[in-house]
Amino acid sequence: MRVVIYLVIVLLAGCGEAPNESNTANDKSQTAKIYTVNYPLFWATQQLVADSAEVYFPAPADVDPAFWVPDLETLAAYQQADLIVLNGASYARWLSRVSLPNNRLLNTAADFSDQLIPMETEPLHSHGPQGDHSHGEQAFTVWLDLSLYAQQVSVLEQGLSRSVEVDAAALQARIQAWDAALIRLGQQMDGAPVFYSHPVYQYLDRAYGFDGLALHWEPGDYPSPQDWQQLVEMLPQHRGHLMLWEDEPLPETRARLATMGIEIAVFQPLGNRPAKGDFGSAMDANIETLRHYLEY
Amino acid sequence: MSGVFYLAWQYLRWHRWKASILVAAVTLVLYLPLGLQLVVEQTARDMNARADATPLLLGGRGSPLELVLNALYFSDQQPPVFDYGVVDELRNSALVDPIPLYSRYHSQQIPIVGTTLDYFAFRNLQIAQGRQLAMLGEAVLGISAAQSLGVGVGDYVVSSPESVFDIAGVYPLRMPVVGVLAASYSPDDGAIFVDLKTAWIIEGIGHGHQELTSPAAAGAVLKSEGDRIVANASLVQYNEITADNIDSFHFHGKNADLPLTAILPVPRSDKARVLIQGRYQAHDSLQLLQPRAVIKQLLDTVFAVQRYVLVAMGLVAVATTAVVLLVFLLSWRARRPEQDTLHRLGGSKAAILSLMLAEVVMVLATAAVLAALLVALTELFGGPLLKAVLL
Repeated sequence: MRVVIYLVIVLLAGCGEAPNESNTANDKSQTAKIYTVNYPLFWATQQLVADSAEVYFPAPADVDPAFWVPDLETLAAYQQADLIVLNGASYARWLSRVSLPNNRLLNTAADFSDQLIPMETEPLHSHGPQGDHSHGEQAFTVWLDLSLYAQQVSVLEQGLSRSVEVDAAALQARIQAWDAALIRLGQQMDGAPVFYSHPVYQYLDRAYGFDGLALHWEPGDYPSPQDWQQLVEMLPQHRGHLMLWEDEPLPETRARLATMGIEIAVFQPLGNRPAKGDFGSAMDANIETLRHYLEY
Repeated sequence: MSGVFYLAWQYLRWHRWKASILVAAVTLVLYLPLGLQLVVEQTARDMNARADATPLLLGGRGSPLELVLNALYFSDQQPPVFDYGVVDELRNSALVDPIPLYSRYHSQQIPIVGTTLDYFAFRNLQIAQGRQLAMLGEAVLGISAAQSLGVGVGDYVVSSPESVFDIAGVYPLRMPVVGVLAASYSPDDGAIFVDLKTAWIIEGIGHGHQELTSPAAAGAVLKSEGDRIVANASLVQYNEITADNIDSFHFHGKNADLPLTAILPVPRSDKARVLIQGRYQAHDSLQLLQPRAVIKQLLDTVFAVQRYVLVAMGLVAVATTAVVLLVFLLSWRARRPEQDTLHRLGGSKAAILSLMLAEVVMVLATAAVLAALLVALTELFGGPLLKAVLL
């Protein structure tokens, strides 16, 4: 009798099952969720995982992700992620002020921490038994040294391979091609002085032998008289004829720089999504812009 | 037959003090060995369960027991601290997923445990009210901790100074309670959880203060030489982390040098567990333990003591039984005139004997019921008693 009852229960349970739907739901919930903190890592992760994982980069398109702070809802999404890909080098300062699952963090700059460029942002101070200290940080646009970006991708590949299958060969080849192109352009520059509109090109400067000085100008703002004065005072010691900009400056800025014999080249740092294309096409455009300047 | 029990009951009521003393003595003789056995078994079960759920434990070299009791049960024992850099070493080994712990401070005797979100997943702790830790300076409470402090989501807890005489020590940190955990029936219920960085801020290793280059802090600046500023003690340091001042919080020194009291290394496989144990076997300053083995040693000692106590109780039980027997025999002898009267009234010898035995049965039955009640109470509340003594 008991056997009959069990059989009836099993048959009824079997009738109520909808295998396709539940399996689909399980597959969906089992897809790895990967959160990133900037666009270069988001793009690289996407290239590596294709459709085998969901990759997120929640920072809005109109902010600098280095200084963006996620709201609590977005932070909760980061906390639930299977992997959180970090840039390292003190990038995204909000990371030091929130609670995240440490064992799901992947610091892509961990292998080259000795190559990071320090930035003295604040004076040394002391106010207790701890002695002198500063709240200084490091330059964080490490991906502009393409050899470091290649190392980040290697770390990413290792971290991702724990949960999804990845093949980084094609991506690494593309990064090496960019690196080689920039090395050639650097050699062509032959130490000629340049200006940077913003202090974000430290790694480009060091990796490819540029001799640059950074200003603090915004593409959408016309520089103040003090800014122009600062540039004029720099010129005798640093006679640069090229200024790299994060984005196209105002026409009047371009015109005034032209009167000073300074040309403009837009070299997007790509911390966030470009207005057109993706990281790959934008990096191609960056290199093409520099090549165009040197050839003409 | 009911008449016999009625007369016996009336006799015991009349001699209530004598009866009460007899019942109490027999109750204790019955209860104590059972209760002790129960408390020890319950404690052993709870402690073993916690130890079994923690495959490995890494800490500073010192007393293994102190380390286990502090890391697993958040006791007051303070094991030696060691550097956070060990967490990175363990993670880089790719053998284990390390979960750091810094359990040193309290809020009104309730332990404050600094850790990462991995701990909650590892212990399967669920949020019952509010939300998970999100920002620096927030606290999530175990259910018993919340009840004992009388706080809930939206209230605050304040870290206690390490010493009341340490007037120059770190400022107490006021932390908002953002969540309360569901009951897990483990030591986690009685703890306050904060982010590891918050625990370091409680210690004073990290802090937030006025911007020294701002005009508001001018009064606190002793001297300024080039890019070096020296401030005095009047510099305003924040004792609560808010959205307005969170940007000013920072840590001195490298992350790798900051202190921990323990790490829970969760092995990725059995092979990884063995390999990592081998690596730390002969370490100079660190020890990697299997908590189950340490707890087994502790419980072996407890069981050994228990055996001695049970032998002593057995002897006491024999003596008590003899005394109770003596009391009844003397009582019967003293009641000879009463028995003669019953006999003259027509009571048979069997009826008189039944009456005497009924008194004994009622005393023993009452004692048995009371002992059973005490055993039930011990089952409900006894576990924490021995743990409180051990921890």
